[in-house]
Amino acid sequence: MRRSTRPSRSATRCSPSRAARGRGRVVDRDTAPSDQRDPKRTEEPMSATAQAGGARWSAQAGGGAEGQSESIGASRPTTAAFGRARRIRTHSWFAPWLLCLPAIAFLVVFNLVPAINVVVLAFTNAKMLSGGTFVGADNFVRMLHDDQVGTALVNGLVYLAVCLPFLLVLPLGLAVLVEKKIPAIGFFRTMFYTPVVASAVVVGLIWTWLLDDRGAINAIAKSLGLITRSVPFLTDRWLLLLSAISLTIWKGLGYYMVIYLSALGSVPRELHEAAAVDGASAWRRFWSVTVPGVRGTMFLVGVLITVGALRVFSELFILTNGTGGVGGANVSIVMLVQMYASGFNGNLGYASALSVLLFVVTLVPLAVIARVQRRTEQ
Amino acid sequence: MRNRRLVATLAGITTAMTLAGCGLSGAQADDAGSEPSSSDVTGEITGDVTLQTWALKAGFSDYIEGVIAAFEEKYPGTHVNWIDQPGEGYEDKLLAQASAGELPDVTNTTPAFGFQLAKEGLLEDLTQLDDELDSTYVAGALEGFQFAGIEGTYGYPWYLTTELNYWNTDLLTQAGLDPESPPRDFDELLAAARTVKSATDGQAYLMSKKPNLGDFASAGVKVINDEGTEFVFNSKDAVALLDEYRQAYADGLLPQDVLTDKFLGHTELFKKGAVGWTTGGGNFIAGAIADNPSLEDKFALSPHFGTPPLDVQGVSVPKTSKNKATAIALARFLTNAENQEAFADLVPGIFPSTLSSQSDFAASDGSDIAEAKAIAFASLDDARVLEPVQVSSAMSTIINQEIAAAMTGQVSSREALDTAVEKCNQMLSE
Repeated sequence: MRRSTRPSRSATRCSPSRAARGRGRVVDRDTAPSDQRDPKRTEEPMSATAQAGGARWSAQAGGGAEGQSESIGASRPTTAAFGRARRIRTHSWFAPWLLCLPAIAFLVVFNLVPAINVVVLAFTNAKMLSGGTFVGADNFVRMLHDDQVGTALVNGLVYLAVCLPFLLVLPLGLAVLVEKKIPAIGFFRTMFYTPVVASAVVVGLIWTWLLDDRGAINAIAKSLGLITRSVPFLTDRWLLLLSAISLTIWKGLGYYMVIYLSALGSVPRELHEAAAVDGASAWRRFWSVTVPGVRGTMFLVGVLITVGALRVFSELFILTNGTGGVGGANVSIVMLVQMYASGFNGNLGYASALSVLLFVVTLVPLAVIARVQRRTEQ
Repeated sequence: MRNRRLVATLAGITTAMTLAGCGLSGAQADDAGSEPSSSDVTGEITGDVTLQTWALKAGFSDYIEGVIAAFEEKYPGTHVNWIDQPGEGYEDKLLAQASAGELPDVTNTTPAFGFQLAKEGLLEDLTQLDDELDSTYVAGALEGFQFAGIEGTYGYPWYLTTELNYWNTDLLTQAGLDPESPPRDFDELLAAARTVKSATDGQAYLMSKKPNLGDFASAGVKVINDEGTEFVFNSKDAVALLDEYRQAYADGLLPQDVLTDKFLGHTELFKKGAVGWTTGGGNFIAGAIADNPSLEDKFALSPHFGTPPLDVQGVSVPKTSKNKATAIALARFLTNAENQEAFADLVPGIFPSTLSSQSDFAASDGSDIAEAKAIAFASLDDARVLEPVQVSSAMSTIINQEIAAAMTGQVSSREALDTAVEKCNQMLSE
């Protein structure tokens, strides 16, 4: 392996990574041609500037395997290219920031500012058409006395408690089933995924036709003589919540199935084969090979389900047409936010306080999941 | 070090942007311009103005375009840009326009929308600008745009509508009721509903409507105090009325899902022939027959129970209008007697708000459509805006939730109304 005899300025200023140091090697980024560090690029046309830049990035990245390869017939950079490379190197501290600037600007303008704005608004009595004044913690105190907030929290937790196990396990089972390469499996995959892409309006209509007083389920049950009066799927508190949860699971199965499918693809087939050779049953292989192989994905799915369940809106909105059920017994926090922030009289301050509450409530289970994952990894 | 500086700079920018984003300011009166003065409207009537209507393009393009053409012909040099907003989400659209300070020069409003905009100082007080309001428009319509606690008039009344009762004669006959003599008040309605239920073995309904605040007001319940500062619809009369609905629901006189807003709605069920009674405007018949031709000749009509609801449409001129003279001229032209009468001739069931037009719509040729129009016209004298303009969408949601809770028996009528009043008053005071 060739060792550079002339360390560059940048090499001394920007110390090489631990990996490079470990190998006792310093790359000469001024003189070494790019193909010396990237054999894949040997045949590619590349400007001298790009070559020099590529050299610098290669060195900063720690001088991996590509940095150790020998030069194969590449031309050396020109003097002008060296000059440009030096200028870039001189300003190297801001180059990454410059590249990230559009993304950072987007993030700040459309995520960070609104998020901070919501927190600030939570301490005001702002309305939709008029500016607000600082009211301290009044909105949060009001929340403590608002029975609808308590109802919304209970609904969210029930939603989470029921959805989480179903959506964590069922899509995995479904993914294992449709992973097999058998004729027409594509049809089943498509059918399972169809609810995911169905529009909210269509879903709302279908489920209302199914569940309302004169809906298909009640009509069939009546015609079979099973019931004499319609089952109040959309008017009873718990039945409505159950209906909305069913809708969520129905729509979520295909979505999480696809995530699991991609994770299953990365579980080494050799492990399955070895387990099979050892005489493990299909069930045993599932528990001992498949599940550990997709554990990381399960945590991700768990996080997505948790956030989704606590922020549930569309399902309840669809089934109650925005009322939150009879007596508002099925409202979610997001529905309360929507209710208070809508119309000319919209109370932005209180709606923002509810948003902050939702944020905090969502953080708790996420923290638990993160902790469990960390322990599992350890 | 440089990185720290960069981070500090970014933090500074973020803070600045955050503060900028925290302005909390909607469109304020001060932003919108100075107080109106007569000089604002004595300028030359010329140039461009924008007219915004609410869901009129689909059915009435020819009429509106005709009015615009006539206006542009009368005032050479003017040009009217007409925009029409869909029926759904009109409130949100107005809100967005108001927040951005971009309300059209002449904007279609209702008393409720006008109140919210006027409260924020966004509309011109027409009393200050037009001496002929009282001599041009009927008092009831003008009162729609005069709000408790705010001095002035904030909209030119445009067309008026009210409601009457429609009955399905087939269903009444099937239940042994006389279609020539439909129920005349709420008590008779309840009795007839019981008859229909027993005659059809619970397969058909006469009633299919959950009460709302308008129904309470129609029955004589005082909804808000005279100053418009406090809701008072938890009176003994209100509790008694809700108790009657509650009993009717428990007795199965109404469909179960009437409590959800997913419910198809009594007008839609009536059109399907599934229920025997609904309320509707004077132009309801034409639409019902178009949707279900089998309903033709099966209508019995009667005046609305209690106080009929008055629906007032109007046009307002925002303070942000840059061509106020032309905007005022267009609003006056659109709502003058000639144009309103032509519109009322075109649309059965709507009536002009101009004083000089009030004697022209009482005649009937005996057809159901003409009869409905005549009944609606006769009801105009008693009709009132039933739902106070102070009621916001969030308040409506809460009131509906509490009424639904009472009807299912989750809470008593008294508890439901007390809770609704308490929450609405809290919102009103904020």
